[in-house]
Amino acid sequence: MIGHDAAVIRAERAGPVVWSGIIGVTCLMLVLLEHMLWLVLPFIFGTVTYYMLLGPMRELLRFGFTRNVSATLVSIVFFSVMALVLMAVLSWSTAPGDGGNWHEIGGRYLDGGVAFVRNTMGLLEAKFPLLAEMHLTRLVNRRFAAFTDNFAQRHLTTIVVTAAGWLPSLLLAPFLAYFFLRDSLRFKKFLARAVPNAYFERTLYLLHQVDQTARRYFEGLLKLTILDTIVLAFGLWVIGVSSPLLLGFISALLAWVPFVGSVVGCVMVVVVAATDAPANPLVAYGAIVVFILARLLDDFVFMPLTLGRSLQIHPLVTVLMIFVGGALSGVVGLMLVLPLLGVVMVIGETLGLLMTNPRLRARHRYAKALREKQASADLKV
Amino acid sequence: MIFGFLKSPSLSPRQRRLHNTVLFRTLKPLEVKFVDGLMHERRYLPDEIIFDEGEEGQALYLVMNGRVRINRGAPDSLHLVNELEPGSFFGDLALLDNSPRSAQARALEGCELAVFFRDDFLALMETDAVIGYKISLALARHIGQRLRFQLDGHAQLEAM
Repeated sequence: MIGHDAAVIRAERAGPVVWSGIIGVTCLMLVLLEHMLWLVLPFIFGTVTYYMLLGPMRELLRFGFTRNVSATLVSIVFFSVMALVLMAVLSWSTAPGDGGNWHEIGGRYLDGGVAFVRNTMGLLEAKFPLLAEMHLTRLVNRRFAAFTDNFAQRHLTTIVVTAAGWLPSLLLAPFLAYFFLRDSLRFKKFLARAVPNAYFERTLYLLHQVDQTARRYFEGLLKLTILDTIVLAFGLWVIGVSSPLLLGFISALLAWVPFVGSVVGCVMVVVVAATDAPANPLVAYGAIVVFILARLLDDFVFMPLTLGRSLQIHPLVTVLMIFVGGALSGVVGLMLVLPLLGVVMVIGETLGLLMTNPRLRARHRYAKALREKQASADLKV
Repeated sequence: MIFGFLKSPSLSPRQRRLHNTVLFRTLKPLEVKFVDGLMHERRYLPDEIIFDEGEEGQALYLVMNGRVRINRGAPDSLHLVNELEPGSFFGDLALLDNSPRSAQARALEGCELAVFFRDDFLALMETDAVIGYKISLALARHIGQRLRFQLDGHAQLEAM
């Protein structure tokens, strides 16, 4: 049995050195990616879209369309439908003060949120005399005044301009998705061609594993977003908040960022609910309850069913790496650390096994010697 | 261009050679083109090892050019099991299960092989039942033929 022990590498597991390398490379990539945010977000959206459209494109390929035509057709149809859906959602939206400019709308929502907090503080003081003695409302009012005086004039324009500056970079997403669809197989074959024969089968397996890990993660993310959107939209619609579908969708997208995204989504929904019904704080409280219920469903039912199964990383490593990601690269780190760790883990474990396999290395050396011999067969002096 | 699927597809010389192999003979030209898109091309020098006995099998190999030798046994007492010509294939058991390779494959002369990766094959079975059925039937016939051959007393193992 030739090289039996050395060749069977499936059952072996990566050791502490390889795992240190995996965590080190993941951290390094997070630091690098923080400086390339303009590319990271379009890349994520492009990858999610790619995995969504891969199935329909394969159907077209089986009908005999070329890869180029199939990629073009599915991209055109998908992005046209997305544009129509976006227009429909925006026109369906019945936000207060329709027709106002972004500046005014932002200011109004900010005022609505602040009024909600003040009312809540007043109610709390009336219920709990201890809080009234502490002059909680006055304290909070002073803090808010310091923060919100002329907030719309000072900060909102900057925020809107920054968001507008992001738009061109987000427009990269459809292009990336299109080229992923058209050229992914070509790229995979291109990579495989560069691999020596001795490592070829394992490298194919590695590429497949990377693809599967990324696919499982992004498909899980997509399913989670759809489920979150449906649950939140339904809850917000029941309590009477305006634009429930749009709010649910934005909150579900924000939840892509662990911890921070959920908080921002909740604040957004409460602010909209408080502005919609300033005289009825119960709507805003209802929105908080809906958000908490949706989060609980998300964390205990949807997440284990979708993302939890996707990466197969130890829960302790997952939680620690989320904190490391946040500490190293902030929001970008929180968002990217898990998919990045999943992909680096697959590559690191496989490369570790390949590089330390003596039989594969010997076969590679032998093949090189054969090539050398063939190339210099007629060059003997 | 859009309605290219209406006309009968023309096959490249490589795709015609693929079509002539036992495995893909029953496929329609369009299906051959589709399967060809999934396959990789490798070149081996004379005496170069393609895979080892006991190695985890990840792919099936089709001989497009050259000849391949199949050996079994310890390194110092290898015995020849079979020699494969262009058009034949080997490594098919790896396509069906995760069992280790049961023999060593080595290029007898400079050869060109088409490689069908197992996960591409399994994905094809899931997404395209017709192509999957045709290839599976060809594989089953081939394995059946090999079994009959062995039962007839020819202790030759043609593929791993």
